[in-house]
Parts: sequence; structure tokens; C-alpha cells
Amino acid sequence: MSAKQFNSFEMAQQQFDRVADLLGLDQPTRELLRVPLREYQFSIPVRMDDGTVRVFRGFRVQHNDARGPSKGGIRFHPLETVDTVRALAMWMTWKCAVVDIPLGGGKGGVVCDPHNLSQREQESICRGWVRQMARNVGPVTDVPAPDVMTTPQHMVWMVDEFETIHGGRYPGFITGKPVGLGGSLGRTEATGYGVVYTIREALKELNVSPGSTSASVQGFGNVAQYAVRLYRQIGGTVVCVSSWDQADQTSYTFRKASGVDPDELVGITDHFGGIDKQKARDLGYEVLPGEAWIAQDVDILIPAALENQVRGDNVGKVSSHVKIVAEGANGPTTPEADKALQARGIFVIPDFLANAGGVTCSYFEQVQSNMNYFWEKDEVLSKLDTKMTSAFAAVSELARRQKLFSRDAAYVISISRVAKACRERGWV
Amino acid sequence: MTSGQSPAPLDKLLETLQERAKELNCLYRVHELLDRPEASLDEVCRGLVETLPAGWRYPASCWARVTLEGVVYEPPGLSESPWVQRATVVVQGEEVGIIEVGYVTQMPRADEGPFLKEERKLIDTIAERLAHFLMQRRLQNTLQNWRSSRDGRGGETRPEWWVIVDFLRNTDHHLLMRLSRRMVNHLCWNGVEEAQQLLQRFAQSQRGDDSDHWEDNRPLQKRSLDSLMAATEDAFRIAAANLSRDEIVGCIQRWIKDDKSGFLIETVENQGSSLSQIADSIERFHQMALGDRDLSRTMQLALRASLIRRFFTDDLEFVHRAKRYVEVDDFYPLMQRVISPPGSHGKLGGKSSGLFLAWQIVRKSPEYSAALGEIKVPRTFYLTSDTLLDFIEFNNLEDVYDRKYLELDQIRREYPHIVQVFKNSTFSPQIVKSLSLALDEFDTRPLIVRSSSLLEDRVGSAFSGKYKSLFLANQGNKRERLAALMDAIAEVYASVFSPDPLEYRAERGLLDVHEEMGVMIQEVVGTRVGQYYLPAFAGVAFSNNEFRWSARIRREDGLIRLVPGLGTRAVDRLSDDYPVLLAPGKPGLRANVTADEIVRYSPRKVDVINLDRQTFETVPIAQLLRECGDEYPIPEQVFSVFDGERVRRAMGLELDPSAGNLVTTFEGLAADTSFMARIRALLKTLQEKLGYAVDLEFACDGKDFYLLQCRPQSFGTDDAPAQIPTDLPAERVLFSVNRYVSNGRVPDVTHIVYVDPDRYAALPDLERLREVGRVVGKLNKLLPKRQFVLMGPGRWGSRGDIKLGVNVTYSDINNAALLMEVAARRGSYVPEVSFGTHFFQDLVEAGIRYLPVFPGERDVVFNDAFLRSAPSVLTELVGEHAHLSDVVRVIDVAAVSPGLVLRVLMNGESDQAVGYFAPPQGDSRGPGRRRGAEFAPEDHWRWRLRMAEQMAAQLEPERFGVRAVYVFGSTKNATAGPGSDIDLLVHVAPGPPERRQLLDTWLAGWSLCLAEMNFLRTGQRTEGLLDIHYITDDDVRRRTSYASKIGAITDAARPLPLRGHAPDAVP
Repeated sequence: MSAKQFNSFEMAQQQFDRVADLLGLDQPTRELLRVPLREYQFSIPVRMDDGTVRVFRGFRVQHNDARGPSKGGIRFHPLETVDTVRALAMWMTWKCAVVDIPLGGGKGGVVCDPHNLSQREQESICRGWVRQMARNVGPVTDVPAPDVMTTPQHMVWMVDEFETIHGGRYPGFITGKPVGLGGSLGRTEATGYGVVYTIREALKELNVSPGSTSASVQGFGNVAQYAVRLYRQIGGTVVCVSSWDQADQTSYTFRKASGVDPDELVGITDHFGGIDKQKARDLGYEVLPGEAWIAQDVDILIPAALENQVRGDNVGKVSSHVKIVAEGANGPTTPEADKALQARGIFVIPDFLANAGGVTCSYFEQVQSNMNYFWEKDEVLSKLDTKMTSAFAAVSELARRQKLFSRDAAYVISISRVAKACRERGWV
Repeated sequence: MTSGQSPAPLDKLLETLQERAKELNCLYRVHELLDRPEASLDEVCRGLVETLPAGWRYPASCWARVTLEGVVYEPPGLSESPWVQRATVVVQGEEVGIIEVGYVTQMPRADEGPFLKEERKLIDTIAERLAHFLMQRRLQNTLQNWRSSRDGRGGETRPEWWVIVDFLRNTDHHLLMRLSRRMVNHLCWNGVEEAQQLLQRFAQSQRGDDSDHWEDNRPLQKRSLDSLMAATEDAFRIAAANLSRDEIVGCIQRWIKDDKSGFLIETVENQGSSLSQIADSIERFHQMALGDRDLSRTMQLALRASLIRRFFTDDLEFVHRAKRYVEVDDFYPLMQRVISPPGSHGKLGGKSSGLFLAWQIVRKSPEYSAALGEIKVPRTFYLTSDTLLDFIEFNNLEDVYDRKYLELDQIRREYPHIVQVFKNSTFSPQIVKSLSLALDEFDTRPLIVRSSSLLEDRVGSAFSGKYKSLFLANQGNKRERLAALMDAIAEVYASVFSPDPLEYRAERGLLDVHEEMGVMIQEVVGTRVGQYYLPAFAGVAFSNNEFRWSARIRREDGLIRLVPGLGTRAVDRLSDDYPVLLAPGKPGLRANVTADEIVRYSPRKVDVINLDRQTFETVPIAQLLRECGDEYPIPEQVFSVFDGERVRRAMGLELDPSAGNLVTTFEGLAADTSFMARIRALLKTLQEKLGYAVDLEFACDGKDFYLLQCRPQSFGTDDAPAQIPTDLPAERVLFSVNRYVSNGRVPDVTHIVYVDPDRYAALPDLERLREVGRVVGKLNKLLPKRQFVLMGPGRWGSRGDIKLGVNVTYSDINNAALLMEVAARRGSYVPEVSFGTHFFQDLVEAGIRYLPVFPGERDVVFNDAFLRSAPSVLTELVGEHAHLSDVVRVIDVAAVSPGLVLRVLMNGESDQAVGYFAPPQGDSRGPGRRRGAEFAPEDHWRWRLRMAEQMAAQLEPERFGVRAVYVFGSTKNATAGPGSDIDLLVHVAPGPPERRQLLDTWLAGWSLCLAEMNFLRTGQRTEGLLDIHYITDDDVRRRTSYASKIGAITDAARPLPLRGHAPDAVP
């Protein structure tokens, strides 16, 4: 049974092996990169509100820090396993490398369910985690961030504990902090804008002027909203967006051929990106079934909602007009659909490149924190543009040169960058 | 209407108030005069003559005269006048004097000549006080005489208190005999043997000599007074030998006071006395400066119990509890606010009783007062239950009494007319006058008119929601406000005759009970915010938490449902919004933790009274904050700031209602105030003292905390603890669990969807794992709604690692009746269960049950062998996922065990739940809030099937291009409830679109008609009753879409004969 079980770490290793084959990596490098460099597992005793003590299990995996301090989130999850954390740490290594920021990959977590914990108990867990790890993490070794069920509040507790232990102010120890307490401006926009920077570059390569293009966006959350905004700024027309309707328990597509105006839609949207159907009709939008976004005659599809949205069963609906699929969400395209898109020659901007604006901004937060000098938003975004543009250029150049599918090219670039750093350090 | 038309009602009110103040002042001064022990009788009488005129309406022209034992005290130069009011002074049955008050000139006519009726009460009270004073003086004198004579005689064996006995023998021997009898009893209870012999003597002398015949029916012989007197002496002689002086004196004092308040118990115990007579007695008791605590314990309890019975209920349990906390004195302020017809024998009803008792308990629990803080009850007026009868009689509406015996559909048809008739009727003048006075006191504060039915006592509070409660803006001039108030009361009255409660009563055999309904007119707790009126927050709190979201929360930790604005949104389950849930016993634990969850499950709407439009409205919170957010009371306790990634309590200047970033969380209330501790103390106090779990309503206007309602925590039919059978044969039991069980029952489960935990864990890749979620989503749409159970590993809807649980959203499971999480032990650890955390509040509001199973634990039965081996119909339902057939298994219970369903019974009180196979009961109503008719269950499906057959028999196949019609789902399965639709499959032949349109119209007509008929039968409104699914030849050939139901293994559709055709069973 266990041999056959789905194991996210084994999956990540298989993916690595495939790319390692493409790269022809030598055995020691493969061995080094297949498994994390360091793993910590430890206990966090916490005095609960009722006076009893419970012991929580904590993890930190530093997959590779050849290119710079490890970077990755801390998850609070009731059934956390070290294999999940390993897989996610490895993924962080590749993600940082593809946008060429000087950071390695890490991930951590605590086996707990915040639904069973009061705020004070959660604070104790955060502080306990830092107490156990204080010697092994820090601004120049390993930089945590929020992740599943952890928030900027948790980060503040952690940095406070770290600073108490080390006797100084080290805002660069952690990212995802609130603005004003070591956080960076531009984080809200970063992911959505990053998606559009890569689209802009892709259009350049296709020799198409953005002003003549149209796009269909799945989702109307944070990423989608900012992607729509910037895409309109560069001249494109967003024909439709889709959103989840809480009351009807289904999603709808909102279409306006003359172009979606994000500001008027935001005015009728709740905190979760749910758009009011009737008000949208009043504003001249057609309300179509949720799946309709995929079948629009547009140049660009931006799935920016959930994973698994472009699948074998609906990839056939993708219009022949479509030239680019930019993955704003994580894993929106299934392998089956990937093959179909590849066969039709549609340019896929893979998720870990397209939505790397987020991690890049985290990097900027760390840089700013370390020098204790914080940039204006414009400066953050223009630096983001530079990073994303050159990352895209490298991936697309490699894809063209080696005739690789863009997703493979992105992996090849990031893994080779990490391998190179290990080699130059003389590790392998 | 009278006072509404008076020219200057305010002036009149002021004048009345001034009069009351004068009278009170006068009474106080009389008390002062009589309380001075050193004052001589002369001084007292002269003082009275000076003091009294000030208490009358025209003091300048008023005089008073006191005549005592022939001595006249009067102001100098008094000349006789004919306008005089008199009261006699009676001491120990003997008239000893008279008090007179008069006017020197003629004054305007009032109740008694120129005198007000209040002045009559005043003079009587003063006469009574004076008599009391004289009696005390006499006693003192006797005592003094006795002392001096004892000193003169140089020693005496009798104790000094004996003087009282002597005194009473001469003045009031009846009282003395009552005292001696009580003394004998008292001594007997203290085990004094001599007294027991004396008791026998009492008894013998009562029986006379022929004690053999004492059981005869003839009257007892009267004893001679002398022998009784002798027994009396003996009683006190024995007392002197056995009890201390203090005890004897204490007893005698208390008993004399008891005796004095005898009039009250007489009035109250007399079934003939009306509420107003009782009110007068209470007032007299109050004016005599007697207090509940001065009485002997037994007298106290007897009085309390009698009053509680008369005002509230005959329910023994209630009387038993209430008499410990409700004092006689508490009835005095209550009486001031009771409105009743003359000669009323009514009661105040269940809701009023519950609140009154809770309020007395809260006031009288010093041990909890620190935690409770100050708790208020809104100003309330009570209409007694027979005011309804008075109303009916006054308007000659007696016909309405028989309505309840009509057929339900007729009741339903007639009800709107009854409402109109009631609203066009008037109240009797006394009631109108009282309501008008009440309105003067309420001023223009919004009101709620609530029903307070007597039946609630009998059938529990499940009944209380059946009658109406109406909000009134109470704005405008007095006449408009009074009209609106009477209109609302009439409408509440009409609801006694509305179909839903009548139906409910019919089912429970309560139709013949004479229903009376009290009404509470209560000030709405709140404050003005823009054009709206609302409390800062309101909610309900329960002693027992039936919806735990964490294993750390125990049932007794309680539950709060909290909303901004009026509490109406917290009371009912909502379909489109969520209240904030808190557990007072675990103040730190939240149902929603991540920013996503907090925002998604935060209240979005608020119920308010719109003062400008004079309506009750539901307004989006965002809109209210935009319009007038700056006026919202205690916003820092109600709202948190959402900055896109965090939801946090605002600090400093952050809280800006116009910024549009506020989320209702009540974090400030929970974290920064004593709110949680207070609710916890309140629940604990009331549960401890009432002896049962309670259900409270409360509200806060931003300053004060108000208790609005208190009743036993009860359950609807859905969430009552189910009786768990103990004699189930083992082979019939699918599972039996004993941890984290809430209440409920899912009686007729027809399908089990089982995701095998081991095989799920063994799936080789992410895609397959996700596919399982999609399969569940599809099954959710195909299987009969609220009749299937989802069982699967770990955490349903897990958003992190998919291996921990099937990746579904709420929409993938929203038709299930029960969600079960199987926490199978893996190696040395047992995975945690989620309690449905990811969509916990959706489950709560939809009434979907949740149950975790821990196989392998002690006393846990989980028959996974059955679940793995019973035939699965997955392939038939979703053939495209056949490769998952060993992971996801769909068991059609009826196919596996013919004639049986899976019944799940859950009992949170014993923490036990069981799922077993049993014959269907036909009760398939989803566990939603709406509870409709509970006819014999077969009625609903039989009626539907008959209607479907009749419809099909009218359908001309050629005209409409119909090949066949099938019925399936709950109508066919005999499980339809009152709100179920009729699922029809219509197999259509290819043809022009016009023909299909014709068919559509024809069917839509039927659908509407059937919906209307169903409404008349059950009171459940639906837009249409038919749920039509068209299938084509192609579908039938390929068995796609609903065509798979034809001849299907599970839930096969049943063909209906069409007009002129035999059923076309296999097309």
C-alpha cells in the first residue's frame, strides 16, 4: 500500500529527476538536490488557557541555500507531515531561482489546528517555534513567511520573539509583516502585476501590440483584480471575469464586450470577490455560467482562481484565438490539458514564473528590512517589473533555443541555476 | 382613543404625577409621625391634623380632623362643610375613632364628590396605620402596667412576654388561639413530648367523647371556649419551659405579622378574586410597610406560591422554583404595568413568566453579582391573557373560536380575512385607556409586541415561535402611535387562529385546550443611528452547545449566536447570512480562524427599525456604515478592520466606518470587555437556579446590557436528543459512536457514499485524489437531497494536504444529510477530525449533521466490512469514474436490504449516536428550520403520486410530442415531505420548438396549481411543485443524463400511464 500511495515529496522528486535528465546532471548533484540539506523536527511545549500543557510538533526544512538564505512559509496544519514540508521546500528553491533572486528554498510548520486554539495559545506556539529555531534561522540564514493558516500577526509574534532572544531589531528575519512594522508596500499588487509583466513580455515576443489584444480572466480576487488593472493600463481589453457566488454555490462569468471596468465591478463585489449579479446586469454585464470564461474568443486566458481549472475535459473549449495562457493561480492546468495546449502551440506562462511576483516582493521586503530603509510603492513595482521581465526573457529564450515547453524550460533554468551555485561553492 | 384626543395630554399627565407625589409625601410624613416612640398620642393627633391637608388636591382649602375615643383634634376655627371624606379607625375589631378630611368650599367634581379615588385609598391607609399605632401603644401600656405591678408584688414566676398572652386574651382571643395552635405545632416539630400530649388533647376535645365514630360524616362538635382557653395557657406554659425567651417573642411577632397579612393570602387564595382585587391587596400590603421578609417562612412561601400561580402559571415545577426567588414585594412594581380588563382572571403567559423569574434570579444572586454586572430588563407592559377574550367579546367575534375545527386548507384560506377583521376591531375603553397610559410612559421609543401564550407552559418553547411578534417604530403623534399599537396587538391576537399553530396543536391533541394569549409590550433596546434604530448587538445564548467546532469545546461550554442590530437574525437560522458564534466556556476558541473564514462567515446584514419609514428592515451592514457609520454605538467592540490579509481589532484612529474595510467580528467585545464572562455567569446562574438548560435572548444599546427572554433550552423536532435504542440486533448496526455527538436524527437515509480511507490514501497521484472530490460533487447532485450520508477519511474539505481529506467545497456536499469523518488509527496516532471546520457555519445554518467516528476505540462499532463489500452503484451513476469504484462506494440501502433505510439517531446528552438499518418512517423532512405539517407521512408522497398520475392521465402524447413520463425521487420513494417537489422525467420525441413550448406552458400551469394546492395543505410555499427533467431518444439510448434513472439499479424511475395509453415501461 505505502509504495503506491500518493506522496507529494516523491512527486517533487520525480519531477526533479525528469529535469535532471534533461540537464544531464551528475550523480552527486542529483543526490544533493533530491533531498533537503537540513531538516529540523522539534517539540514546542505550550501552556494552554486551561492551565494544562500540550506539546506541539514543529518542523523546518531547509532544502537548499546555495544561492542565498532559505526562504519559505510556516504552515499551521493539523495533519502536517515532514514529506509535505520537504516537497514544498524544494518547490521554493526552484521558485526563487526562476526569478533569479538570491534566496534558497525552505518550509516549516507546526502540527496544530488554529480552530482549536485561542489567540494566546497561537502566540505561544509562534514564540515556542522561534525559541527552538532561533539559532538556525535569521536574516542571513533562513527567512520564514506566512503560509497556510498563518498570518502577518503570527509573523509579528515570531519576529518579536527572535528580536528578544538576539537583543536587537532584525526585521529581515521574517517577511509578510504588516506595512509600518517592516512590511513592504506593493505586496497587494505584486502577484497580479507580475502576471501582466510576463504577459507583456510574451506579447512582445509574439510581436503583438497589447492594445490590440483581449483577455478573459477566471476569478476576481486580489490577483485577478490587479492583473485586470495593469492589463488595461497597457492597452488591453478584458472581456470577462468570473467569480464565485456564495449564495448560489456556483460561479458565474461576467462579460462585457466593450471591456470590463474593474473599479465599477469592485464597487459591487464583496470581500471574497463575489460579484452582485443583479447590479452587474444593471451595469451592462452579461451573466454567464462559470465555465464560460474558458470559451471566449480572446487572445489571452488568465486563470487566476483555483487549481485544476483547465482540464482534459474542457481544454477543447479553448478558442482558436487564444495565444497565451498566463497561470495566475497555482496549478490551474492539469498535465492532460498541458499536453493539449502544447500541441496547439499556445504559449503557457507557467504558474511558478507568472505568479512569482509574490515571492519577489517578499524578497524586496527582506532587502528593505535588512537595510531598514523602505521604498515607495513605485520603486517596489518598478524593481518588480525588472525582475519579472528578465526572468521571463531567460525562460522564453531557453524554451526557444532548446525547443522546450515553457514549463519545462522554467524548471530547467531554475534547477541549473541552483546546481551551478552548488558547483561554484565546491559542494559537488 | 380618549386621551389621544385630549387637548393637552402632557399637562394632564404632569398634573396626575404631581398629585401622586403629594400623596406619597403625605404618607411619608404620616409614617414619620407614627414612628416616633417618644411622641404622645396628643402630639401625634395634632401632627396628623396639620399634615393631612397637604396630601389632598386643593391643600389651601383643605382641613383635617381626628377624633379618638371622644377627643377631637381639629384646626382652630373650623366650621362644618358638606364636602367631607371619612375613614374609621378600628383597633381589634372595635371602632375607636375617625379621620375626616374636608374642603371649606365646593371644589370640582371628581371620583368621590370632590375627592379623587387615590385620596380614598390614602385616607384608608392612614386610618389603618393609625390603628396599628394605637394597638402597639396599648400593648406597650399593658406591658408597662404589668411590669410595675410585678415589681410591686416583688417577683412573679411568669416571664415578661406573658403579658402579650394576657393582653390578647382580653382583646383578641381569636388571634391568641391561632397563635397558641401554631405554638403547639411549633413545639411538636421541635420534639417536645408534653406538647404532643397537648396536641392529643386538642384533638380529643375536637372529636368529643365518641372517638370511635370520628370518621363519620357528621359535623364535629364545637368545643367550649373555656377548654380551648385552658389549652392555650398550657401551650404557652410548655413553651416557656422549653424555648428561649427570644425564640418565643420572635415567633409571636412573626405570627402576628402573618396574621395581619392574612387579607392578602385570603384574596390571592380566593379563586373568585380578580386581578385588580389582588392588585389592591398587594398595594395595601405595600402601603402597610409590610415586607415579604417580615413574614414567617411558611407564610412567605404560601403567599409567593399563590401569587405566582395567579399571575403566571399553575405549572408545579415553575411555582416550585419561582417561589424561592420571587418575593411578594416584587409583584408591586409588576402590578403597575399589568393591563387587564375589569374582573380579570388572566395570566401573563409563558414568555413573561420566564423573563420575570430570570430577572428576579439575576437580582437575587449576590454570589454571582460581580460576574453578572448590571443587567437590565427593558420596560415592559403586560396584557393579561383574558384581554384577548375581552377583545373578542367586545367586538362580538365569538365565531372565531370554532375556526380551529375547520379543515386546514380552509383555515389557511380564511386566515387573511381573520387578520383583517381583528385589525378592524376595537378594544374596550378600559384597555384603550391603559394602553394610552402605557404609551405615555414609553414615549416615542420603538416597541415590540410579543405574544406570551399560556400554551407555551404546556408544550415548551418550541411553540412560542408559532405566534407573531411585531416591531413598532412608535413614531408620530399620540393618536397615530396608539392606533399602530392597537393594530399590532390585534394582529398578534389573530395569530392565535393562524393555521400553523392550529396545525401544531391539532397534531399534539391540544386543539381542545382553551388557548389564551398574554401580550408583552416591550421597549426595543437600541439607539438611533441615522434614520435607523437598533441595538449595538443582540443575540441568543444557550447553556448547551450543540454545535461544537472543536474537540476542546464541551457541551456545557455553551453557545452564543451574536449579530449586530436586532436579535431577529440571531434567533433563526439564516439561509443567506451568518451570525458570529462564540463558546462562553472557551472564550479563546473561534469557529473561524483564517482571514478568509472570518470574512466569509461574518454577518453582512443587519435588522433595524427604520424610524423615518416606520418599518422593520434588513439593511446591508456596509450600507448602514456608509450612511451613518459614525453614529454606530461601541463600534470598536463590534467591528474589526480587514486590510486584505488580516482581520484585526482596530487601534487608535484606524476605525473608520466610511473606509469600507470593517468586518463584524465582535472581537473587541469578546477580548476587551467582560461580555463573555458575563454571559457565562448568566447561563450558569440561571441553569443552576432554574434546574434546566436555558436559552436566553439579550441585547445591548451600547451602554447597558439587557436580558430580553429566558426559556428552557429546547429543541425543534430536528435537534432534540434522539432516544437511542438499546436492543438493536448487532447485524443491523452500521455504526455506533460515543464522542463529540450533537443532537439530531436523520431518519431515512437511502444512500451511503463511502470513501474508503485506506484506498483513498493509496491513490497514486494528485489527479486521482482530486477526482474523488469531483465524484462526490456529482453524487451530491444526483442522490436524493438530505437522504444520503457522506463518510470519508479525516477532514472533509481539507484545504491543505489533500491526503488528509477529500477536497470538496460546500457546494459539493450541500445536499447531504450527514457528514461523517472516519478517523482511522494510523500506526500510533489517530488523525484529528475537523468538525467540518471548513464549512462549519454552512453546516450549522443548513442543519446538516456532523459526526466523527473513531474506529477501533472502546465501544465504537464501525462496520467497514459492510461498507467495503456491499454492492456499489457508483458505475451506474457516474460511469465516467468507474476506475474509482473501489475508492468511492455508493450503497443503495434499499437494494442491499430491501425495504430498509439507514436511520441515524444522535444524542448529545449521552454523547451517543447510532446508525442502523430499519424500515422507513417516511419522515424525510430535511433538518432545516422550516418545519411544516406533520401529517401522517404517507400523505405527502401518496398525494404527490396521485397528482402526478392524474396529470399524466391528462397529458395527450401526440399533441405534446411526449413518449413517456416517469416519476422518481421522493414521490416515488415514499419519502416526500411537505416541501418536496415532484421529480418527473419527460421523455420527448424530436419535434418543432413550438410543440415543446406548448408542453412547457402546460406543465408550468400544473406546477403552479399543484404548488398552490400544496400550500393550502401544508403551508409550505414553493414557486412550483414539479421538477421537470426532459430526456431525448438519444439520452435514453445512451442512458445519459437522467435517462440513467429509467430501469436504474438505484432509485429507478416509475412510468406513469399517459392519456389513452398503457404505461410505456421500456421505450
